[in-house]
Amino acid sequence: MGLTWRLALRNLMRNKRRTFLTAMIISLSLTALILTDAFIEGMSDAMVRSATRLYSGDAQIHHRDYLAQREESLAIDPDPFLEKLTQETDVSGYAPRVLAFGMISSAANNRAIQVSGIDPDREATVSKLRGAIRDGNYLDSDGPRTQILIGSRLADLLEVELGDRIVVSVNNQDTQGAEQQLFRVSGIFHFNARALDENTAFVLLPRLQEMMGLGESVHEIAFNFEEANQATQTDRPIWSRLSTDTAVAQGWTELMPQLATMLQLSNSSTLIAAVILFILAGLGVINGMFMSIYERTYEFGVLLAIGTRRTSIFRLILAEGLVLAVGAITIGAILGVVVTATMAAVGIDYGNMEISGVSIAEVIRPEYHINQYTVLPVWVLIMTLIACVYPAVHAARIVPAHALHKSL
Amino acid sequence: MNPVIETRQASRHYGEGDTLVKALDEVSLQIQPGEFTAIVGPSGSGKSTLLQLVGGLDIPSEGSIHLSGKAISQMSGRELSDFRRDHIGFIFQAYNLIPVLTAAENCEYIMLLQGIAEKERRERVRAMLERVGLGGKENRRPNQLSGGQQQRVAVARAMVSQPDIILADEPTANLDSQTGADLLDMMHELNRKEGMTFVFSTHDPMIMERATRLVHLRDGRIEQEEHRA
Repeated sequence: MGLTWRLALRNLMRNKRRTFLTAMIISLSLTALILTDAFIEGMSDAMVRSATRLYSGDAQIHHRDYLAQREESLAIDPDPFLEKLTQETDVSGYAPRVLAFGMISSAANNRAIQVSGIDPDREATVSKLRGAIRDGNYLDSDGPRTQILIGSRLADLLEVELGDRIVVSVNNQDTQGAEQQLFRVSGIFHFNARALDENTAFVLLPRLQEMMGLGESVHEIAFNFEEANQATQTDRPIWSRLSTDTAVAQGWTELMPQLATMLQLSNSSTLIAAVILFILAGLGVINGMFMSIYERTYEFGVLLAIGTRRTSIFRLILAEGLVLAVGAITIGAILGVVVTATMAAVGIDYGNMEISGVSIAEVIRPEYHINQYTVLPVWVLIMTLIACVYPAVHAARIVPAHALHKSL
Repeated sequence: MNPVIETRQASRHYGEGDTLVKALDEVSLQIQPGEFTAIVGPSGSGKSTLLQLVGGLDIPSEGSIHLSGKAISQMSGRELSDFRRDHIGFIFQAYNLIPVLTAAENCEYIMLLQGIAEKERRERVRAMLERVGLGGKENRRPNQLSGGQQQRVAVARAMVSQPDIILADEPTANLDSQTGADLLDMMHELNRKEGMTFVFSTHDPMIMERATRLVHLRDGRIEQEEHRA
C-alpha cells in the first residue's frame, strides 16, 4: 500500500468516533436513496399494473381517429388483427371490445356510464374482470343475452342487487336513435378502482354490437405482452405489424400519457431527494473533514516545511475522503439491502389511493434495481469527493510559516 | 568558500502604515558550510522570522535570501517545496513527527518525496536511526517514544535526505537537561564528523556553549556576532 493510502487510512483511524459519524452520514444517505428509489420503483410498477393489467391491457388497437373523437361509428373489423395477435409470440392474451357511452337505469336511479361489450373467454386473458366478481357470476358466452356485470359502487348508486332488472340505453349507428334493452344483474364486480366500480358495466359482445348496429365491428382490441415492460418499447416491430391505414396499435405510455408523465415526475422526485440528501451529506462531510484538518494544521505545516508539495496534501485529503466513502458506501449498501428487504416484506398499503386517476389497488413493495447498487453508490462516491475538494484546497493552501507559528 | 546561506539586506515587515512591524530589518548574514551557528536573542528579536526566511517558509519583504547560491525569493511555490525537500532539514520544537507513521516511516517519508528507491530508503533509514541511537525502535510510533527519542527521530529525518543545512528551532526546549544535552552532543558530533551545517534558534545556554558562532539579534537587527574556535 502506498504511503498516501497508509496515511489516509491511519488518519481516519485517529478519531474513530468522528470517522464513524461522518461515515454514517454518507451510509445513511445512500440507504435513504436506495430505499427511495426502491419505493418509487415499486410504486411505479404497482401504478402501471393497476392501470394496465386490471382492465385496460398493456396495449390497444383502435381506429386511428377513435381516441381523439370517441365517435362510436369509428369501429374496426377485428378478424385480421385477432389473426395477427394469435401469431405474435410476445402477446400473452387479447380481447376485442365494443365501447358505448349510454344510460343505465334502475327503478330507483339512473346514471351515464360506459358499457363494454366483451368476449368473456378472451377478456379473461387480458383483464382481471373475472377475478373481480364479488357477487354473482362472470359472463357466460352461452348464457342468457340479458346478462350484465356492474360495478359495486354503481350497484349501490342504482340500488340494485343480483337478479334485479335494469335498462341500458345506447345509440344505434344504423337508426341514429336510442336503443334500449332490459338486462338482469348477473354479477357485481369490485376492482377497488373508483372509475371502474362506479361507471362501467359489461355485457356480451354480440349483444352490444347488435344494440349499436355495429355488425361484427369492435372499437378496441386490448392485448397484454408476456412482459409488461415490452409495451413501453416503442421501437418494437409489433406496433407496425398491428397497425394499418385505418387502425393503430399503441402501448400504455401512448394511451395514458398522463401516467407516463406521472412516472417521470416520480423519477424526478428521486432526483430531488438525491440532491437534498447530497447537499446535507456533503455539508456533513465538509464539516468532518474540516474538523480533522484544523486539528492537524501544525502537522500540515510540518509536512509542507519538509518539502511536501501542496498537490500531495490535496491528494492526501481526497484519499482520506475516498477511503471514508468506500467504507461508508459498503455499509450503506448493506443497510439498503436490509431495509429494502424488510420494507418489501411488510409492504405499504395506500388503501386504494388514487394518483393521477390511477387507483393503486395493491400493497406497494419496494423493488430492487441494479442501479440502486451501481449508479447511486457511484453518485455518493462522487458527492463525497466533491465535498472533500473544499477542505482539501484549504489544507493545501495552509501557509507553513503560520501553521508552525507556535514553534518557529 | 561559497556560503550555504546568505541573506542580503533581508527585511520582513508585517502590516502597513502606523501598524507596520519590522520583524526583521535589513539583515545580512552568511552561513558557511560546517558551521554550528546559534541565533540568539530575546523574544520578538526576529529569530523565528529569520529562520523562516532562510528555510524558505516565508519570503522577505525586501532584500534577498540565497541558499547554496540560489535566490529563493524568485522560486515558485513548487520549486520552493522541492528546494526545501532536497536542501534543507528541519527540526522543530516538538510534536514535529507525523503521529500516524512509525519512526522509520517518518524518516522514509521525505525520501519518498525525493523519489529514492525503496531498497536505498530502507538502508538509509536503518543506518540513520542506528546512528542517532534508535536501532531497534524503527517500528515505534511517536507516542511510543520519549521526548528525547522523538527529537532524535526528527534529527534522523532531517539528515536522512542529505540536506545542505539543518535548521533547528529550539530543539531542546521541551526536553529535560540531560536529554537535551545528549541530543546536542549527538548533533555536535554529526557536525564535527560529517561536516553537517546546523543553524539553531535558541535561548538554551547548552546550545550557545557548543555553537561555533553566535548571532545576537535585537529588534530585528543583528546586534553582535561571535565566532568561536
